[in-house]
Amino acid sequence: MTISQSAAQADRPNGDVIMELDDTSVEFGMSRGRSRVLNGVDFEVSRDEIVGVIGESGSGKSMFASAMLDAVPEPGVTTGDVTYYPEDDDPVSVTDLSKEELRRFRWEEVSMVFQGAMSSFNPVLKIRTHFVETLSAHDYNVERGLERVRELLEDLYLEPERMLESYPHELSGGMKQRVLIALSLVLDPEMLVMDEPTAALDLLMQRSIISLLHDIQDKHDLTIVFITHDLPLVANLADRLAVLYAFEFAEVGPADDILEDPAHPYTRALLNATPNLSAPLEEMRPIEGESPDPVNIPEGCSYHPRCPIADEMCRSHDPDAYDAGADHDVHCHHWEDSIENIDNALASSGSMDRSRRTAADRSADEEPVVSLDDIEVEFGSENDGLLDFGDSEIVTAVDGISLDIYQNDVVVLVGESGCGKTTLGKTAVGLQQPTDGTIEYKGRDIWEGSGNSSTLADKEIRRALQIVHQDPGSSLNSHHRVRTILETPLKRWHSDLDGNDRRERILGMLEYVGISPPEDYIDRYPHQLSGGEKQRVALIRAMLINPDLILADEAVSALDVSLRVSTMDLMIELQDVFNTSYLAISHDLSNARYFAEKTGGRIGVMYLGELVEIGSPEQIIHDPKHPYTQALRWATPELDRDEDIDDNPMRTIDVPDQTNMPSGCRYHTRCPKAREVCRTQKPELIDRSDEDGVQHTACFRALEDHEYWDSEPIAEEPPAAEETGSAD
Amino acid sequence: MDWKIRRFGQGLFTVWAVVSLTFFITRMMPGNPVDAFVAQIGPELENPQEAYELAETYMNINPEAPLHVAYRDYMISMVQGDLGRSMSQNAEVTELMAEAVPWTLFVMSWAIAISFVVGISLGAIMAYWEGSTFDTAVTGYATTVTSIPFYVLALLLLMVFGYQLGWFPTGGRQPSGVEAGFNLPFMLGMIHHAALPVFSMLVASGAASLTMRGNSVRILGEDYLRVARLRGLADRTIAVRYVARNAILPMYTGLMIAIGTMFGGAVVLEEIYTYRGMGYYMIQAVRMRDYPLMMGAFTVITIAVVIALLIADLTYGKIDPRAGGENREAF
Amino acid sequence: MKPSEDPSDDATDPRAGASIDEFVPDRPDDATDGAADSATAVRSDGGTVDADSPFETTASVAETRTDRVDRFFEEYIRTPWSILRTDWRALAAFAILGTYILIATVGVYLIEPTESAHGPQLLGVFETWEFPLGTTSSGKDVLALAVHSTPSILVMMASGAVFTVVIGSFFGVVAGYKGGMVDTVLSTITDVFINIPGLPLVIVLAMLLEEWINNPVALGVLLAVAAWAGLARSIRSQVLTIRSESFIEAARAMDLPTRWILLREIIPHLLPYIVVNMMNAARRVIFAAVALYFLGVLPFSDANWGVMLNNAYNAGALYRTSAIHWLLVPMIAITGIAIGLILLAQSLDQVFNPRIRARHQDLGDDDQIEPDSETDTKDMMNV
Repeated sequence: MTISQSAAQADRPNGDVIMELDDTSVEFGMSRGRSRVLNGVDFEVSRDEIVGVIGESGSGKSMFASAMLDAVPEPGVTTGDVTYYPEDDDPVSVTDLSKEELRRFRWEEVSMVFQGAMSSFNPVLKIRTHFVETLSAHDYNVERGLERVRELLEDLYLEPERMLESYPHELSGGMKQRVLIALSLVLDPEMLVMDEPTAALDLLMQRSIISLLHDIQDKHDLTIVFITHDLPLVANLADRLAVLYAFEFAEVGPADDILEDPAHPYTRALLNATPNLSAPLEEMRPIEGESPDPVNIPEGCSYHPRCPIADEMCRSHDPDAYDAGADHDVHCHHWEDSIENIDNALASSGSMDRSRRTAADRSADEEPVVSLDDIEVEFGSENDGLLDFGDSEIVTAVDGISLDIYQNDVVVLVGESGCGKTTLGKTAVGLQQPTDGTIEYKGRDIWEGSGNSSTLADKEIRRALQIVHQDPGSSLNSHHRVRTILETPLKRWHSDLDGNDRRERILGMLEYVGISPPEDYIDRYPHQLSGGEKQRVALIRAMLINPDLILADEAVSALDVSLRVSTMDLMIELQDVFNTSYLAISHDLSNARYFAEKTGGRIGVMYLGELVEIGSPEQIIHDPKHPYTQALRWATPELDRDEDIDDNPMRTIDVPDQTNMPSGCRYHTRCPKAREVCRTQKPELIDRSDEDGVQHTACFRALEDHEYWDSEPIAEEPPAAEETGSAD
Repeated sequence: MDWKIRRFGQGLFTVWAVVSLTFFITRMMPGNPVDAFVAQIGPELENPQEAYELAETYMNINPEAPLHVAYRDYMISMVQGDLGRSMSQNAEVTELMAEAVPWTLFVMSWAIAISFVVGISLGAIMAYWEGSTFDTAVTGYATTVTSIPFYVLALLLLMVFGYQLGWFPTGGRQPSGVEAGFNLPFMLGMIHHAALPVFSMLVASGAASLTMRGNSVRILGEDYLRVARLRGLADRTIAVRYVARNAILPMYTGLMIAIGTMFGGAVVLEEIYTYRGMGYYMIQAVRMRDYPLMMGAFTVITIAVVIALLIADLTYGKIDPRAGGENREAF
Repeated sequence: MKPSEDPSDDATDPRAGASIDEFVPDRPDDATDGAADSATAVRSDGGTVDADSPFETTASVAETRTDRVDRFFEEYIRTPWSILRTDWRALAAFAILGTYILIATVGVYLIEPTESAHGPQLLGVFETWEFPLGTTSSGKDVLALAVHSTPSILVMMASGAVFTVVIGSFFGVVAGYKGGMVDTVLSTITDVFINIPGLPLVIVLAMLLEEWINNPVALGVLLAVAAWAGLARSIRSQVLTIRSESFIEAARAMDLPTRWILLREIIPHLLPYIVVNMMNAARRVIFAAVALYFLGVLPFSDANWGVMLNNAYNAGALYRTSAIHWLLVPMIAITGIAIGLILLAQSLDQVFNPRIRARHQDLGDDDQIEPDSETDTKDMMNV
């Protein structure tokens, strides 16, 4: 898709452009041939705007970011023109700068925030040193610079002195990310390039940072290029959006246009593939196929193999930029009719009229498969016996949760990291022994007879409770072939099968989940599979031994956006086949909603080891009673541009220290509606179910007559620096 | 704070374990020194009973006492710093050791320091010019040097520089005819005598350089290095504060194991150079079947290593902010 | 790839025509009495009723014995060989170590043992073809002494290395995986041994156990006593990392026996490390053994490089130029085998790297994007 200087670009006034890329490519020489990871893109960034660049993994978005600073890692080569236009100076060709000029250009004019905030700091230096050495490397006044740093940190709701005196490992992920933003702004650059700056963070933290970015951009007259795989995240932050596909731009235009009137079929498919809270489930469908390999980009339009409306023209001719409105360029031959046709084309490609039960249909007297009763799990620095003088700090990860999971049931637990959802999940499937409380499988206590051992005594229960992990990379042993990985559970639990039977069964399963040809895949090692394939193999491994309950621990969050819906659909389909229940864990309310609503399950919201609200997805999403659920709801990005994201419904951004839990209602330190009574009294789960669905809420506000309503509100204050920090 | 106390306790525990081990070896093993001693000198004495008393004098163990009493007495004398009496040297073991320990420490601390400095520098340069001729050459050097036992190098150095060229003394630990003390000729003579033993230990630099190279190459790929470059830090700052510091930290464990190995090596090295340190006395004791001296030297060498490791461990916390306890959750 | 499609929609699907019900496998409710019953219950309607279902499939075409032998051959012989073949270090290592083994097996028959006054005293190197490496001051053939030392040294090396690795791995893996009290006890023992300097400990033990260490195997084991602890500690810390990986948790959830998890899931990850350390342990065992013989603290009956060193040293080879060869021959013998061991350790690391393995196999398209990871051998060569 090499774009000529099209009419659309020529008429754009050049006066307010800050950065221009012209036919810019990035290439890597690989043993299998040259790999173009950015393919002749033209792009302009206007002064003081926020551009959102959206691309899936392997779309070239990180290379795009690096190219703007001429910082492509070795041995990559950048070609083409990258021009920077200072406000009142001559244009600068970034690729032609000398080493010293480039050193000054970076960070002083254009700076960058990387994906890996966790690893962006030198672990042996204090945060202060990072700031000081940056200031002195650029001959800035350190004293005045540090004043600016303090101000920046305060704007980011951090305690400046505490941050500066800390080592990187003493800060939580969200803190590090915000400190990194401050570090990138320390020299007052004109432009900030952010490459997936929030990918590793919780939704609440992501959302908080996004809303802080708004303020910072205003205050410092910044131009921001925000690169992400997550379209909704930037939907109402960005002024313009650009969609990258296969190392080229598919569509560039004003955010409103792109979201309401997407012209490129890929953009449209991406919008549909992204789980969100408001769109009807039937509109969400996966994108078929996978992104192309950089060495082997399809002829013609690179999207044609996956495009439902592709024709001969698309297969042979690479589309140039078509003008689809003011400032709106699209690289599609059929952009004019695509909007109407895509829906029809997509709608016909897969019909999903599944009738599901709802939570309400589940008879109350049905015996639960797994029943948790008042579960408590504590972690502490364990006593090492001999010569241990350490005072053990106890963290209560799960505090008194009861939950019943029925046959064919789905419960999705959501919450911030550290809220205990994974611990609760592992406890439910017998991989973590509770400190207190009982877990029953069909009426039998699963830990009975296990003594101090960490494994379940009853092998049948052990088989019935399985797990699928978050990280497909680590859930399969990299030293075993797919064959061995899948044979192992069969050998253990179906000892009657001989080698040939096992092979046939594995082949059948692989084919069923869409890994084909299975004969080819069965001898592969995990690193030869894509992320989605690995996750499907992990899913089969659990399914092969017919479990009754599978803990799906963030099973889709490590996958590409376009694969999430299809993986969840596969899990739902396998549930039908195997009669399995799922206890799913997600930090993402929209994934949770998709999974729970499609299966008629429930969503449980956890906060600091407690279940604060549980109910049908309709109730949780559309009528959350608990203020924390409302905060999560706020944090879940929507494609709706009108939503106001500045209105953070929490009083503090950071989670309280877990070794020193707040008294009363644990949320009172962050709750905007907290009153004095919340400091001292702890609310129990209150049944608020009605004909619309099941809902239990642990908040006094769910009761009409409670002393809460007469209590004094805890002073309403704007979001302030965290009182107690949680370090990881 | 508390892990330091714990680490100190662990050191004490090790010393206790080793001292108990020596008691066990001396008293209880078949063919143990005490029985051998009594069997050896008993018949020569008019009153065989005296053999037992002599055993107590020399080894702090009365073979006639019940085991727990003997153990208690043995531990008490150990705590009092009484390591028994050497038969061959006819002196208190503790005195002999007190005189020998500084010399061994002197040679070994220099040996460890020099070989690590050389190894780390070579490794850092190799990583900087990764893939260059220098890199290949030093990799070859490191592989070869690691294949040479230190005592082979010691013999070669002694042969060439001691006997053939006569540049260095072939034995002893201090110049003769010079008054011992803080005067220049004596100090120079000391260094002169220690030079060959110290350089013999340079074989350890080979492995250290390869480790340093591997660590540095890995650090060069870290995110924080990329960020540091983009932030425009000077190359020197990056090399020293970012690469070197983070690459050296994980080598601390290697250093600690090297301390043990090198102090153990002192036994051979001091014998070759007839350098009268702890190891020299130990080998003499073995030759003379002087059990009290042998066990005493063994105990003292072990305590020296325990203390060296303790210092290394405790100072590690000063240079790596992440140091501290570790996770020992059970399942 | 259409995982979300309903199977019954797809006419070309092999499962076509099967209703959803047929896909439902037998429930464990049928067999809640225990694992054994469940296995038979599955069998009862396993391969017969739902032969079409991918979940109940049993084989229609038998994998022949030849196939299986072929697969074994591929996995354990052909692949490692094709990796090693391309690595000069491996070839050099095989050549060096092969030479030593040849000397120890064939050489001892070709070259007769020597005795005092076998030839003239202190003959130099290559002066006569009868004594190519010269003679000692008592007229012994140096070549014969060196050759006849080799078998016992190799046996000692092998037993010491194997014992070090077995004990070290056992302590490390068990302490790391089991954790808790087991870990505390095993780690304390390990820490004590790390603190005791190896050579002096071996000397003390050798003195006292003189009668038992009269053969090379026993001596190898004795030398390993001083070497296993460092290995145990580093393996433990690696196991601590591995055991928190998801695949271990999945294996525990599937109720695989602890022995399986340790041997099949954890050990393969440690194998490169263990093998490299076995080579290093072998090297250290030889170094220590020769040192002890050199010091004269070990009783000896056979010819031995260390004894040669000792005799040459005592005969004043350091300052008598005419006796230098007597000293140099054992030195070169020790260094040569050590180089072979180091090179082998460096190249063997590659055999265990799954990325490199996969490239040496025929799997059709080779679609790995990531570059090869830097080999870790060099980091493992601790002092």
